[in-house]
Parts: sequence; structure tokens; C-alpha cells
Amino acid sequence: MNTDIHTLAGAYALDAVDDIERAAFVRHLAECEGCAQEVTELRATAGRLADLTELEPPARLKDAVLAQVSRTRQAGGAPPAASGETRWRRWAAAAVAAGIIAVGAGAATFVIEDQRVRDAQAQAAQAQQIATILNAPDAVVRTTNMAGGRVTLVTSNALDKGVALVHELSNPGAGDAYQLWLIKGDRPRSVGVLAAGSGDGVKVFGDVRGAGSFGVSHEKVPGATTPTQPLVGGLTL
Amino acid sequence: MVVMTSRDDRPRHLAAAPDGVPDDPNDLLSRVARGDEAAFSALYDLLAPRIFGLARRILRDPAQAEEVAQEALVEVWRTASRYDPTKGSAASWALTIAHRRAVDRVRSEQASTERERRLATEEVPYDDVVEEATARLERQQVRRCLKGLTDLQREAITLAYYRGYSYREVAQLLDTGLPTVKTRMRDGLIRLRDCLGVAVG
Repeated sequence: MNTDIHTLAGAYALDAVDDIERAAFVRHLAECEGCAQEVTELRATAGRLADLTELEPPARLKDAVLAQVSRTRQAGGAPPAASGETRWRRWAAAAVAAGIIAVGAGAATFVIEDQRVRDAQAQAAQAQQIATILNAPDAVVRTTNMAGGRVTLVTSNALDKGVALVHELSNPGAGDAYQLWLIKGDRPRSVGVLAAGSGDGVKVFGDVRGAGSFGVSHEKVPGATTPTQPLVGGLTL
Repeated sequence: MVVMTSRDDRPRHLAAAPDGVPDDPNDLLSRVARGDEAAFSALYDLLAPRIFGLARRILRDPAQAEEVAQEALVEVWRTASRYDPTKGSAASWALTIAHRRAVDRVRSEQASTERERRLATEEVPYDDVVEEATARLERQQVRRCLKGLTDLQREAITLAYYRGYSYREVAQLLDTGLPTVKTRMRDGLIRLRDCLGVAVG
């Protein structure tokens, strides 16, 4: 058991972690039976704190919720293929390759389809790379919202590596894809193209030293050599 | 470990099913998983005050709290079949969904500008959090158990849970090292768990 990551159990149960730490911790949970039990209990404990916030909602809320429910299809036991959350969590889950998991803490959102695990080894290698970047002493985490979703970027100058986690951007449309760029000076360099029609993905890349900014563009598949303006969003490094 | 002792499964408003039997959230949720809208309506009555109150506490803004509560409650409906009773009570599961939604919202971009400013300029705000938390306490046991924590444990936990701060932000607010804050969140929750007698399994 990785005791260092396990010290995050409390922060995880309180949702006081960022996306990357959450993914790393979920991976840890999958490997550690006792930890899952502990986190389930800590989550239940945290939930008790909500007892102190009880507040009667306006009556219109119930009307609105019931109206939306009556036109909302329920998910099956497995999540729909288009679930961004599932896809985003896949790499972390696949990293444990073995018999996939619906991990703890009432995190019923975490379900993985078997067919998704075919690339488990490649993803495990990627997860390892990501973990290395996350654990770098000089790792810097930046997050920004764009296109209805969120992009988290972690870079380490010491390792000269970075990882971008793209979560739930709006569907770019069939035949289109989001492309990620690092910009040094005025020279953009592609550091990855997400799957066509997808708003989620994880890209690991090198050569981050000296980069001034990071951007996401909307391109026709299979991607462009220079980013189409205007960018969907970006971060200053 | 003992089975399910958490009190939060008790019906809050003595809501009754049509046949007069009081509803239990876990039973309701399994009916909801089968598409039972009447069961969902009863489950709403049990959970909505805590979900709305929690969203309101974290987001402050009533309109945003309503939006987030609505999103969370619809997610409960949508994903009811994924609820696993061995992983905790229905209420705990639903509150986990709601808390996460509220925290995601409060950390979203428009909010974060203001939060960053607050982090930079605000004097340690935990007093008012704790005071606010304790002033409005309705649940004696939770209050008593929160009081049983060390100041740092309580501040770290309440800033994270009620305000949506990450542990990094909490460390900054409390001017305390990251490892200490992580550890206090964990051992504080463990102490709280033992005091409340929460057991799942």
C-alpha cells in the first residue's frame, strides 16, 4: 500500500482534492480493500455534516425536479457510452487492469465497462507516467473551464513533462476533434488530438520547459498543423 | 464491523407511503431504480432539505443552490440503479453526489476569481464557518462530536466540507503545511466517525 497517497483519504472523502489527485486516489482504492472500507465510512461521516445544513427548499424546486425526472431516462447498471465521467475515469481504472471495480464511498459513478479495458496495458503505462508527473516535487497544477467542461494541466519543469486532463468539453461534432497545443514564443506545437467527437481525454507530453501557454483548438479530424483561431480556451504557464 | 448504524436513514418527516408504512430511503431508492416516480417523489421529500441546505451552504447564492440541488436530485434519479447498498446508506450516496456537484460549481471559473481574491486577502475565515455551523446546529450528536475534535481538525474539515475549499486552499487559509492538513482531515474524520458510530459494511 502506498501510504503517502493514502493520507489523502480524508481530503478525498471531503471532496477537497483536485481532479488529478482524485484519479490517483481512486486508483489507489482499487488496489486496497481496507482503504475502500475506510473511505466509505469517512464519506458517510462527512455526509452527516449535511445534517447541520438542512433547509427547506422552495416548493418550485420539487416541481422542477419532478418535471425534469419525468423526461429523463434512467441509466442502466452500466453507464451510457457517452458518459464523460466514465471515460475520464477510464485511464485510472484501467491502470489496475484487474477485474474492474465499482469503487467505494458511494461513488456509484465509478463503473467501467469491460470492453473499455482492452488497452489496459498502454493505459497503465500512461497512468504510471502521469503518476510520475504528479509526484514531481515541482509539479504545478492549473485548471480552467472551457466549452462547458474543464481542462487540468500539470507540468513539471524538472521532468520536462506535462499531462493534460480534459473533462466533459461539449461535443465538438462528428468529424471534429479538440486538439491540444503548447505555445513557446509564438510557435504552437501540437501535443495531442482527442478522439473525434469526444470532449474527454488525457494526453501526456514532453518538452514543456519554456512554454508560455497552453491552448485547446477545435479542428477537423485528424487535426491541424497550426491551431484554428479563436482557441476554445487556454492557460498561461 | 456492524451493519448500518448511521442515523441518517431515518425518515425526517415521517413521510408515509400510500399504504401508511413509513418510507425508508434505501427501499425508496431501490424502487426509484426501477423507474418508480412516486418513490422518487417520496425520496425527494426525505433528501431535498439536506441536499438543498448543503448546496446553499457551499454556494451561498440561493439561485445557484437551487440549480445544483436540482442537478444532484436528477442525477440521483438517473443513476439510481448504480447505488450499491454495501457501500453506505442511500442518504450518504445522494449527499456524496450533491456535495461533489456543489464543490465543482463553487470551484468553477467565475467563482474561482472571487475565491482567489478571498484567499489572498481574507483573514482566516474559519471562525465564522465554525460559528455558523454551530449556531445553526440542529443535530446535537454531530455538534457534540464536532466539538470533540481539535481546533485544527474541525477547521480543516468544516472549511473543506461546508465551503468547498481544497486541502491546498485550507492549508493556505490556516497557514499550515499540506501534510498536516491532509492528516488532520483524515484523523479528524476518523474521530468523528467513531464518535457518531458510523459503520458501513
